[in-house]
Amino acid sequence: MSGPALSRPAGLIVFGAVLILVAAVTLALPHMVNNYLVRVVIVMCIDVILVASMGLGNGFTGVFSLGHVGFVAVGAYTSGILSLPVTMKHAFLPDLPHWLASFSLPFLPATIAAGLVCAALAAVVGAPLMRLSGYFVSVATLGFLIIVNVVLINASDFTRGARTFAGVPLQTTLPWAMGWMVVTLTVLARIAYSPFGRRFRVVREDPIAARAVGLSILPVRLSAFIVGAFFAGVGGSLYGHYLGAFSPASFYLPYTFALVSMLVIGGMGSISGAVLGVVLVTVTSEVLRNLERGLDLGVIHIPPLYGASQIVLGMMFILVMIFRPSGLMGDREVSPGLFLRRKPTGERE
Amino acid sequence: MIDRRQFIIRGATVAAGAGLASGLGLRTASAADTIKIGAPFNVTGALSSLDAPALNGAKLKVKEINDAGGIGGKKIDLVIYDTKSDPTVIASVASQLLGSDKVPVAMGFTDSDSVLSLGPIFQQAGVPFVTPGATSPKLPSQIGNDIFLACFGDNVQAAAGAQFIKDKLKAKTAYLLRDNSTEYTTLLAKYFEESFTHDGGKVIARNDYKSGDKSFTAQISKLKAMSEKPDVLYISAMPDDIGLIVKQMRQAGVTQPIVGGDGYDTPLLISVGGKAANDTYYSTHAFISEESTPAIDKFYKAYKAAYGTVPENAFAALGYDTAGLIADAIKRAGSEDPAKIRDAIAATKDYPGITGSITYPDGQGVPQKTVTMIGVKDEKLFLAGEVTPSFIPKP
Repeated sequence: MSGPALSRPAGLIVFGAVLILVAAVTLALPHMVNNYLVRVVIVMCIDVILVASMGLGNGFTGVFSLGHVGFVAVGAYTSGILSLPVTMKHAFLPDLPHWLASFSLPFLPATIAAGLVCAALAAVVGAPLMRLSGYFVSVATLGFLIIVNVVLINASDFTRGARTFAGVPLQTTLPWAMGWMVVTLTVLARIAYSPFGRRFRVVREDPIAARAVGLSILPVRLSAFIVGAFFAGVGGSLYGHYLGAFSPASFYLPYTFALVSMLVIGGMGSISGAVLGVVLVTVTSEVLRNLERGLDLGVIHIPPLYGASQIVLGMMFILVMIFRPSGLMGDREVSPGLFLRRKPTGERE
Repeated sequence: MIDRRQFIIRGATVAAGAGLASGLGLRTASAADTIKIGAPFNVTGALSSLDAPALNGAKLKVKEINDAGGIGGKKIDLVIYDTKSDPTVIASVASQLLGSDKVPVAMGFTDSDSVLSLGPIFQQAGVPFVTPGATSPKLPSQIGNDIFLACFGDNVQAAAGAQFIKDKLKAKTAYLLRDNSTEYTTLLAKYFEESFTHDGGKVIARNDYKSGDKSFTAQISKLKAMSEKPDVLYISAMPDDIGLIVKQMRQAGVTQPIVGGDGYDTPLLISVGGKAANDTYYSTHAFISEESTPAIDKFYKAYKAAYGTVPENAFAALGYDTAGLIADAIKRAGSEDPAKIRDAIAATKDYPGITGSITYPDGQGVPQKTVTMIGVKDEKLFLAGEVTPSFIPKP
């Protein structure tokens, strides 16, 4: 573990304290701020799930995949088809096979099913793709994203094709989003900083040395890819049940680049970096989006400049890349232990 | 002296504070003497070429109403948000309009997907929403009774196109080419086939392409290889593609008239198509030109004076009409209660819009309107006819 090791009881106490804090925020927030800010927090939680799970493959194993949003799309559509009420299935998807059309799952099983479908898909797709490295794997996974998009558009019996998939129950509330985010971050941190997770970084840093000590590359990369895809499917389900209506175009290049930029800004080899990247990009773009509508501060009057927020955001990305090329966190972590004990010298690097 | 780092931090803090303040609704304009109308539009992003003119039209109408004294002495405050053609931003803006700005009514968007992202949130809050340009007639039944269209549904314009082909172009057989990548083009094609075959017309072949394709050789060669030639081509296309399609069709020697829907209503048809655009016809909301009706001519001149450009397309006129329609409903409701405004909108009868008169039959969210058919001759638009279709396919 890159953070200082805590004794087991202290670690559990800190984890418990964080859980209580998250629960308190989840319960108190809707009473303290308006619905708009609650929604921003929900979107942030979903993006944290997606970016952190993307970071497991892209950052920790160094396999830069651009196909993550493909899994998000599969997750959203899978859970959407499963949880659509039966009457709506008849109206919206009349050509659905009978066995799918005759039942409707609650939110939680639909979300887990979406995750499992994505994990299975990742196993099939990853088996050949995870043999590639560098640019080749980026291009190949981008190909996967394009294939998912084309399949979604043409499998119109299941997805309504390019038309909007609507009627998904709006069930992603703050407790659901927060809960899944805590589960995701806990699981990812446990994996990434376990002895098994150390293998991720070994195959990233030096594949030849890894092979020399008897570590075969493919299973390591593939397992990170599959775990990442599971949580991408979960995040996709949450996103689908947050929007209620989406189309294949919602899960394509613009969303891919939004998630990649959050990951790169935060720091690719760090789970807390992923959280930081999401929070920073979301807060900045929300603030800028409200600023660009123009301001009337009594003396100064700034006219609306729509689109200015995207330009400023783009400039910020460039600056971060110039001054902090490995992202704000790099591969460091903020772990609860930092508040309790000083970092032992010589722990890392 | 502060160093660079501190300067940046202070600057960012001030900007963030100001942004949050405006986000939380602490805007300095006093709220008591204005009536708020929410206006989320995709001013940037993929849909900006349609949404920006619609917003400009709405702003023009609001300015005219305010200059004439407002509604019952109160000015209208158009609460504008750029939703960036992004469903997540649209959902956030919806809750911002309802939670922070507390608008009693809102208008926006020219496409069905955006309305589907926002609609359920407004429906849940019981606040009415009127879309100037999303033409899917299914929207009110998909979302609920707080959603209204200010434009005709795609079933009506497809039926009008079919009737125009039979009556004016005297054609019996059609070739149907559609873009299968959007809700609008697939629905339009479906409604066209239903109404064209309803009384005697025949669609003898169909083919698909995808928005963004740059070569239509495959579709054209299939069309040219047909043993029975169609009398007319119905092409259900998005604005960005139609110019290129007509150009390649005409270059390949296809001479039949080409007919389509309001996706053609963009300057791109003639600027990209050039001479090839001749003998093309499309259904749309109004013929926006100086040679049109006096009301449209007045709008045309006012728009040009305000924005330095002629109205880009019919969505500018639809935005203008939607703002007027909502103001009319607020006046009749005599209240800023969302439920009363909703009922007043539903009761709208013969509102004299420049895109035609608007009535909601039995309080349904899709209005009855006449459809304008526009043709292209000598690289110029002309009014080819006004159609009230006799048969309209079910939404």
